[in-house]
Amino acid sequence: MSFTITCPICGERDVYEFHFGGRDRGPPPSHDNLTIEEYLRYAQFRTTRTEAQLEWWFHSNGCGSWFTTWRNPANNREEKPQEMSNDQQ
Amino acid sequence: MRARLPEFPTQHIDRGQEISFSYLGKRMSGLGGDSVAVAMYDNGVRIFSRSLKYHRPRGLYSLDGESANTLMNIDGIPNENAEKRRLRDGMEVSAQNVRGRPDTDFYSFINWFDRFMPAGFYYRMFHRPYKLWPFFLNRIRKMAGVGTLDIHREFDDSRRFEIFLNADVAVIGGGTAGMNAALAAAGQGLRVCLFEHRAWLGGHMDWRVVEFEDEPLFERARGLAKQVEANTQIRLFTQAPVTGIWGNKLITAYQTGKDGEYFDERYIECRAKSVVVASGCIERPLVCNNNERPGVMQVNTAWRLARTYAITPGKRIVFSIGDDLGLEAALDLAELGLKVLAVADARSDKQNADLLTRLQSAGIEYLPGWAASNVKGGKHVRGVELSELNGSQTCSFKCDLLVASAGQQAVIGPLSTAGAKFRYCTETGLFQPTEMPPKMFSAGRMTGLTHPGSIDTSGTIAGLEAAAACDRDVSTNLDAARRAAAKLPGETKGCDLVYGPGIGAGRKAFICFDGDGTFKNAVQSASQGFDAPELAKRFGGFGLGPGQYQVPGQNLAMAMSNINGTPIENSQFTTVRPPLVPLTLATCVGPRHNIYKQTPLHRDQKARGGIFRNAGVWRRARYFSPDLDCRPEIRNVRENVGLLDGSSLGNFRIYGPDALRALQRVYVSNMEKSREGRCKYSAMCNETGNIVDDGVVTKVADDNYYFTTTSNRAGITIEWFRYHTRFDDWDFKLVNLTDSMGSINVAGPNARNLLQKVTKEDLSNEAFPYMAYKELIVGDGVSARCLRLGFVGELSFELHVAASHSQYVWDLLWEAGQEFKVHPFGMEAQNCLRAEKGHVIVGTESEQRVTLLDIGLGFLWDSNDTSSNKVGAPALRACENQQGRMKLVGFRVSESGVTPLDGDIVVDGNDIVGYVCTTRISESLDCSYGMALVKDGYATRGEKIRMCQALGKRHDEYTATVVPPQFYDPDGQRLRT
Amino acid sequence: MSLKLRNNQVKSSETRAICGLERLWGTSPLKSHYDVVLIGGGIHGLATAYYLAKEHGIKDVAVLERRYIGYGGSGRNTAIVRANQRTQENVKLYDEGLKLWPKLIDELDFNLMFFNCGNLNLAHSEAAVSAFRLAVSTANFCNVQSELLDPQQCKELVPALDISDRPYHPIHGGMYHGPGGIVRHDAVVWGLAKGAFKHGAHIHQGVEVLGIDTDGQKITGVQTNRGSISCNRLAVMAGGYSASVCEMVGMELPVHPLTIQAMVTQPLKPFLHHVVSSGAYHCYANQTLKGEVATGAHMDPQVNYSTTPTAWYMKHQAEALCEFLPCLKGVKFMRIWAGLADMTPDMAPIMDGNVMYDGLFIDVGWGYFGFKSGPITGKYMAEFIADDEAPDILKPFALNRFLENRYMGETAGATNYGHWN
Repeated sequence: MSFTITCPICGERDVYEFHFGGRDRGPPPSHDNLTIEEYLRYAQFRTTRTEAQLEWWFHSNGCGSWFTTWRNPANNREEKPQEMSNDQQ
Repeated sequence: MRARLPEFPTQHIDRGQEISFSYLGKRMSGLGGDSVAVAMYDNGVRIFSRSLKYHRPRGLYSLDGESANTLMNIDGIPNENAEKRRLRDGMEVSAQNVRGRPDTDFYSFINWFDRFMPAGFYYRMFHRPYKLWPFFLNRIRKMAGVGTLDIHREFDDSRRFEIFLNADVAVIGGGTAGMNAALAAAGQGLRVCLFEHRAWLGGHMDWRVVEFEDEPLFERARGLAKQVEANTQIRLFTQAPVTGIWGNKLITAYQTGKDGEYFDERYIECRAKSVVVASGCIERPLVCNNNERPGVMQVNTAWRLARTYAITPGKRIVFSIGDDLGLEAALDLAELGLKVLAVADARSDKQNADLLTRLQSAGIEYLPGWAASNVKGGKHVRGVELSELNGSQTCSFKCDLLVASAGQQAVIGPLSTAGAKFRYCTETGLFQPTEMPPKMFSAGRMTGLTHPGSIDTSGTIAGLEAAAACDRDVSTNLDAARRAAAKLPGETKGCDLVYGPGIGAGRKAFICFDGDGTFKNAVQSASQGFDAPELAKRFGGFGLGPGQYQVPGQNLAMAMSNINGTPIENSQFTTVRPPLVPLTLATCVGPRHNIYKQTPLHRDQKARGGIFRNAGVWRRARYFSPDLDCRPEIRNVRENVGLLDGSSLGNFRIYGPDALRALQRVYVSNMEKSREGRCKYSAMCNETGNIVDDGVVTKVADDNYYFTTTSNRAGITIEWFRYHTRFDDWDFKLVNLTDSMGSINVAGPNARNLLQKVTKEDLSNEAFPYMAYKELIVGDGVSARCLRLGFVGELSFELHVAASHSQYVWDLLWEAGQEFKVHPFGMEAQNCLRAEKGHVIVGTESEQRVTLLDIGLGFLWDSNDTSSNKVGAPALRACENQQGRMKLVGFRVSESGVTPLDGDIVVDGNDIVGYVCTTRISESLDCSYGMALVKDGYATRGEKIRMCQALGKRHDEYTATVVPPQFYDPDGQRLRT
Repeated sequence: MSLKLRNNQVKSSETRAICGLERLWGTSPLKSHYDVVLIGGGIHGLATAYYLAKEHGIKDVAVLERRYIGYGGSGRNTAIVRANQRTQENVKLYDEGLKLWPKLIDELDFNLMFFNCGNLNLAHSEAAVSAFRLAVSTANFCNVQSELLDPQQCKELVPALDISDRPYHPIHGGMYHGPGGIVRHDAVVWGLAKGAFKHGAHIHQGVEVLGIDTDGQKITGVQTNRGSISCNRLAVMAGGYSASVCEMVGMELPVHPLTIQAMVTQPLKPFLHHVVSSGAYHCYANQTLKGEVATGAHMDPQVNYSTTPTAWYMKHQAEALCEFLPCLKGVKFMRIWAGLADMTPDMAPIMDGNVMYDGLFIDVGWGYFGFKSGPITGKYMAEFIADDEAPDILKPFALNRFLENRYMGETAGATNYGHWN
């Protein structure tokens, strides 16, 4: 660790400047017609794979913005999943 | 001090500076530039310490702190490495882990009991009968450890500093490869930081006198060093060992101050865009019987004693080496006039022919395919047996110094901590990097090169590659450097000797010095199932001592392959863990960082006798009663009027077309109901319905609101709002005013009378009722936001003013309050006052098991609203009618004899059914009262509950009656008058 | 120069025979079917195998370990044991666990080096003292020794403490729990492996589970790097990797894998005779039998499968230690490492059976406290697996509590590692 996160506004900074906001799972479900179990699973249950994932980060000791970035929890590098980075090349 | 060798330019000593120090009370002296260990050696000290397990004598083996052999107590500080510590005048040095003196240590007899201490013996002994275990445990503890810490000694940490750097290219290692890399990168206009652990640049060229391109190697290196020192793009750190490379090229190091520098040691963090590691090689110890006897030392140790420090390492010297550097050293020492009796070379071929010729003409016996098999002498080398590797011939020599090594091992630490992968190379005999982390490059000896030209060029290439990683176009230079490298010699054949001939069972052949780990112990570990180096390390205790991986590192990997009969190229290095060199805690700390926020009234509150406590990031006045009793403070608020500095409370402004929608999202109440000129109390929950914050919101104008949060929460309020609206693309601005505002609470029956004296605004109950909000002008025109709230249960006005005006307003109120005998009150008085009123504090009356509803704040929740997606609302719905939850209740205790305390438990039979959150003895109520969280079956009004206080041996039980938590003025008359 | 012939070069195989030491646990052939398969060769998996084989007669058991036994959290923790938790449910389990050590040492005939040195927790505020009162009363009510101390008493216990008002967080008091201490963590792994093997269980190292097989509502086996293995019952006890193993059957859990770090200083003669910990400084320290000061506690809040430590944390830890144990200022750090902690929102584990599939057992979410309770949990998980019914003591730890929004209260605060929960 001691890794870096790239803030879209401030650039590459030490991870300790940021707060982690979890894997991006899209907008939270609407509370209308949501069962309690669905909600409690949403609020507490998580999947973390050993591959790059899109995550929310908050630049708390910086510009104060929420943004998403790709990070691989297995090695803490900011990298996109293999297939995505291949697509872009 | 003995007579030193004649002056020579390779030396780094100052003959004009004689330094006196004491060792075990005996006065000794050394020269400027000496390390403590070198000076001790020069004064005739040969046994520096005793080993951990067997109390074997240990001497000067290395010069760069590769083992615990020379850990000493220096000036009262234990475990100081005498090899690395520069000698200073008046130093007091003593030995460690000895009973008596190191040369006559009482415990040395343990050496003969090794048969009873096989690898892992601890786990098989001492536990039966279990009753005796504590006795053995204490013995083991006393025998363990190395240095003795004086817990009463004050450590002077006043000259420890820290620097945080950003570099384009960081270079680790100031040998010629590293210097060339630094110059190449600097030549591209990049900012370079170069880290070198020794006090001078040059690496292993620094003491070599052989010539390359008609120039002695040391002079070449010094020429290069001058260029580096003169280059303004390069920031040079000498005496700065790297402690690790962490994620994304963060390098940590520490630097020892030179004479006259402003620091003793300073901690360094350097974030680099690319990194060149040219950490070089250290010697791989020769594993043979008694290979760690004082008088056995590394090639570079003997060589540098002579060449760098002008000290005669020994009188009759035998070499057992594994590479050309060993041959060169033997020749060089002979040329210095020392008596070199023989050189055993573990290699049979590929030696440098020129060196062999010179060795022959110097008349030194040369034994290729031989190595030391046994070292003789009890406390110091008295002789050595050399054997042919196949064991067929042995000869012995009388000598006082065995210079021994099995060639080189790469210093893999920095690269390894950075995540590089290594593989054993059968050609070079080194663990070489096979997989490098992004934007990191290696160069120099660690890549298997030994030719000076090749080493230099590899540095240049790595420096250019690092520059390319910083987006510099270096293709032309890089091509040229690569073409040059192609013409130079490549990797050199290394030494693959695992252990010396005639090792036998390996009882006294040490792989690890610090943990007394022998070859036999490695065999024992393997045979018990711990056959991988990583397992043997843990089971047999290899490489876990202060020298870390340096002495046992590669030898353990090779030995385990040998023992397991697996191919050597598959052998694995054990994980290298930072810090790569021992790091003093005080250095790691640097200057003490105790940072806290002060309110704008901090000094005033201090002057009024405030007793302060940490409150989150703030420091706040908790008491104004020296006995911490607070009764006068409380009485004054109840009967008269008090002033509280509440400046740490969060204050925020939110405005914009979607401000209300944002408020609706995070607050549980219907925020459409907040009106201009009114304060609306509400709370925020997390996604599982736990209350996380409470405060008031007031509408200042359309799309424009002002709100307060708890002190703890203020720091992450913006983050919270923005997180929960991050998908909504709403247009609102949120400003944290907390640090720019001061807050003064004027509370008590006389609050209105007092405040009226400093403002012309009508403060009458009709004009300014309970829960109203007004912007006032006080005194000479200072504007203040005034909230009429009642947290403490009395008529009160909270004034929020600019931080810079806070002291003025406080003084104004203070002066106006003299006729009422106004008195300050602190957090604890406020805590008692609010508790009497049944007002909760988030985190005191709430915890993870209870929701907003459980603590009686369900009335705040707008349960009909599902369209705002209020944070936590479905979780509240889940718990709405759930049985078996904990509930917040009030209680009274009428019994005398026991003083209820916060944290007392509520019990029923054998079950704990709740606990006391806050309890106090109330003067106003004339009883003990409090709030408790209890299981719902015990929450009925009038219920008698059993409380238990068991803080030591005594268990006190008492009975309490469940009552509504609004003890004081339940109808709220006093707030509203 | 004297020459003599010698031929004492001993081949390694011969040296092995000489030392006369047997493998602590043997190797077994990897069968294609086992009655019970346990995923994870840490303390929990090995203890469960041991008790299944020893006390329930279920000897057709395999422990599958991806690397080598004790590679994960079992070999990376700082080996503190105690039973002064916040809630009665937890205290009961940990107390039984604490009392098990001497018995286990005898049963396994392996010295686990239980150093019953006691644990001192420091309070740095009035609120922390109140929190300790709750924990102390709870412990004593459950017949677990614990007492509340004032700063002076703390100092008498640990003379190295700075109880002046110089530290940023001055010491306001302490909670002393005599029955706690430290145990040699590696020894527990090895001892349990020895015991489990002796009673018939198979221990397979280097076997990585790649998939879990199901048939309708039932677990049928696992796919591994060494082929498929069928089984009747399967238990996930994979520490930091538990959540990713459960995900193989599509089971999502309230678990965050986080990296937790610890470190040791160079060895010193005994001067610290108790475990000392401080919540305000996020720091604990104890002196191992080898004389090193082992210290740790911090977790970075982002999910992580990496076991690389951070420079930031080493600095933080130095700052914390130099505050309340200022005598450590001149001491040197020797080694820092990291492991994984599978954290749940209420900081209590999840132990459950027949979840999602019949025959699937989970023993996960142990965070950084899985060591203290390892053997006792194995004992009860074995009972659970053998009887197919949760023992009473494990019932509060069922997964369902999260679906009812009922937390266990092991920490006071609402979940403290991320407010997005």
